[in-house]
Amino acid sequence: MDEMVLVPGSTCQGCGAAMAARLTFKVLGPNLIRHGIPCCPDHVSKHPRAGSVFEAGGSSLTGTSRALKALGRTDIKAVAFYGDGGTYDIGFQALSAAAERNENILVITKDNEAYMNTGGQRSGGTPKYAETTTNPVGPKSRGKGEPKKNIPMIFAAHYVPYIATASVAFPEDLMQKVKYAKDIEGFRMILIQAPCPVGWRFDPAKTIELARAGVQAGVWPLYEIEHGTSFKLNYKPKELKPVSEYLKPQSRFRHMTEAEVNEVQGNVTTNWARLLKADEMKTVVL
Amino acid sequence: MSYEVMVGNKATAVGCKLARVKVAAVFPITPQTTITEYLSEIHASGDLPNFEFINAEGELSSQVIAQAAEATGARSFTCTSGPGLLYMHHPMQETASKRLPLVMAVVHRGVKSMQPDHSDLMSQQWQGWLHLYVENAQEILDTTIMAYKIAEDKRIRLPVAMGYDGYVLSYTAEPVEIPAQEDVDKFLPPYKPMPGIFPVSDKDDKWRDFEANPKTFGAGWGEGDPMKPWQMHNEAALNGETVIKEVFAEWGKKFGRTYGNGMIEQYRVEGADCVITAMGTIAGTAMAAIDKLWADGKKVGLVKIRSFLPFPRSDFQAIAKNVKAIGVFDRSCQPGMWGPVYHQMRSTLYDEAKKTPVIGFIGGLSGKEVRVADMYKIGEKTLKVAQGGKPEAPIQWV
Repeated sequence: MDEMVLVPGSTCQGCGAAMAARLTFKVLGPNLIRHGIPCCPDHVSKHPRAGSVFEAGGSSLTGTSRALKALGRTDIKAVAFYGDGGTYDIGFQALSAAAERNENILVITKDNEAYMNTGGQRSGGTPKYAETTTNPVGPKSRGKGEPKKNIPMIFAAHYVPYIATASVAFPEDLMQKVKYAKDIEGFRMILIQAPCPVGWRFDPAKTIELARAGVQAGVWPLYEIEHGTSFKLNYKPKELKPVSEYLKPQSRFRHMTEAEVNEVQGNVTTNWARLLKADEMKTVVL
Repeated sequence: MSYEVMVGNKATAVGCKLARVKVAAVFPITPQTTITEYLSEIHASGDLPNFEFINAEGELSSQVIAQAAEATGARSFTCTSGPGLLYMHHPMQETASKRLPLVMAVVHRGVKSMQPDHSDLMSQQWQGWLHLYVENAQEILDTTIMAYKIAEDKRIRLPVAMGYDGYVLSYTAEPVEIPAQEDVDKFLPPYKPMPGIFPVSDKDDKWRDFEANPKTFGAGWGEGDPMKPWQMHNEAALNGETVIKEVFAEWGKKFGRTYGNGMIEQYRVEGADCVITAMGTIAGTAMAAIDKLWADGKKVGLVKIRSFLPFPRSDFQAIAKNVKAIGVFDRSCQPGMWGPVYHQMRSTLYDEAKKTPVIGFIGGLSGKEVRVADMYKIGEKTLKVAQGGKPEAPIQWV
């Protein structure tokens, strides 16, 4: 496997997204056109990068994929490396349309849960209670007031061939998913949680530990959905670790009261039960 | 070669087929809609091999899909009208800045009503495209093919928008001569992508060597003089004046149909005391008015402006030497700044030794009918100025 990531990169120390890029593109190899739209970090790999406007990442991938087909170059893949803004928010419409058309594209979303390129503002991927630069905590604000958008399920509801979540703390699982998705025909999306030491405010040496704590607490579960229905939970510990182990090292959550932590714990526990049920039934349960 | 009676929008689709377009991305909007349907029929029929047709979810996406397909190396097409064009505003800039020779049909629809005027395409002057305006279905078909040749020329490498009036032309059926595919193939060779976009350094005007530096489309910052891409873009657009004339001359030679010199088409300008200008379908109305004016002993010529961007500067500088006044007809109005064609004309002639009065007329906005009598009156008013009279106002509403 070739190392495709740019060295030296333009990322901060302990950047989860850089790790996601390294693992992903190692599996995908050189034979692809990588699409980028404004996100942090963007210049991550040695591939030809075809970027377009922020709001139409799904469309530019579509154009590349269809042109490759028209030119008979199906050996080359159209791959995106987008952020949560380009997936959950401004880029959502175009990606949703590309999913609905089942375009032959692979979307890698590294989810760092805020607009990190512009300094950490709230996104649709920001979890409840997280403090961002546009959700400052104050007498009238407890950080973000709403839960994170359930984007994997939303894309699964387009009945596309493959949706998966992954974590930089589980590199074998991540790489296996990329390998599997690589050769599927149609719309594939892998959402990788990418801890951001600057935005989430934690020790850059602890990126992997933090990502692992998120998966082990059930905050960022690892699963796969095929064709919008078939569900598989990939990591099932006997017992979930408490969410506090994940929340505590991050200063974006430091204002949270015990009651608020308990609320998050309650939601995660309920969701986990639902995921276990889905896994047992091998079908999506919402 | 064959004949078919077809509407303007079908002429566009047939032009695309003859140009062997590989990727078309579209989103329907009145009055452009039937182009999308004709293209889907071409796709469904299998008549155009390896043709990818995409139903986008909006105009912003249709522009970006076509842009990315063009960047990937496939000759691509998109089309829209009025509000759809405004929605494309952001990615249009990107298509041009990446120097991608995309061709787009703009079926004019105003921004204050669904009826046609030129406010849609006129509002996109800053996006770095070439803007052609055509008058009839035959001209649509021919210009669609020629637009690719112009756009793909090494001296240009810019996207081209071909504008024509909605309803009156998009939905009007006319007999159209369809050139033979083999003749079109000889005229328009297959698209050769040339991915270099930006100069390597401020000392190097050459296209970036993609083999040596196979990095990127669209990330243009970080090396060389940051103003250089602007300078090159500006020069390329100005090169249009030369290239458009060359391509139209070649078309005339091969297919026996000419449209003036490509930049402008003159009608009874020889021996005229003054000229009026028109663009798009109104040029046809103006021709009828010109015949009447001459019949009444009033020597007024017509200049149909085919290329607004680049503006036919050298042509008008030459024409101005032989006439005593120019009446400019604008089918759009930038509130607070009047008509864009009027401004271009005045700046074109400002440095000329001989001062030729230029007066402006604004009409046909939001689809308001422009009759032969209106153009006759414009001719008369311009003639009055040519004879030394004072205009009622420098710019008048028709």
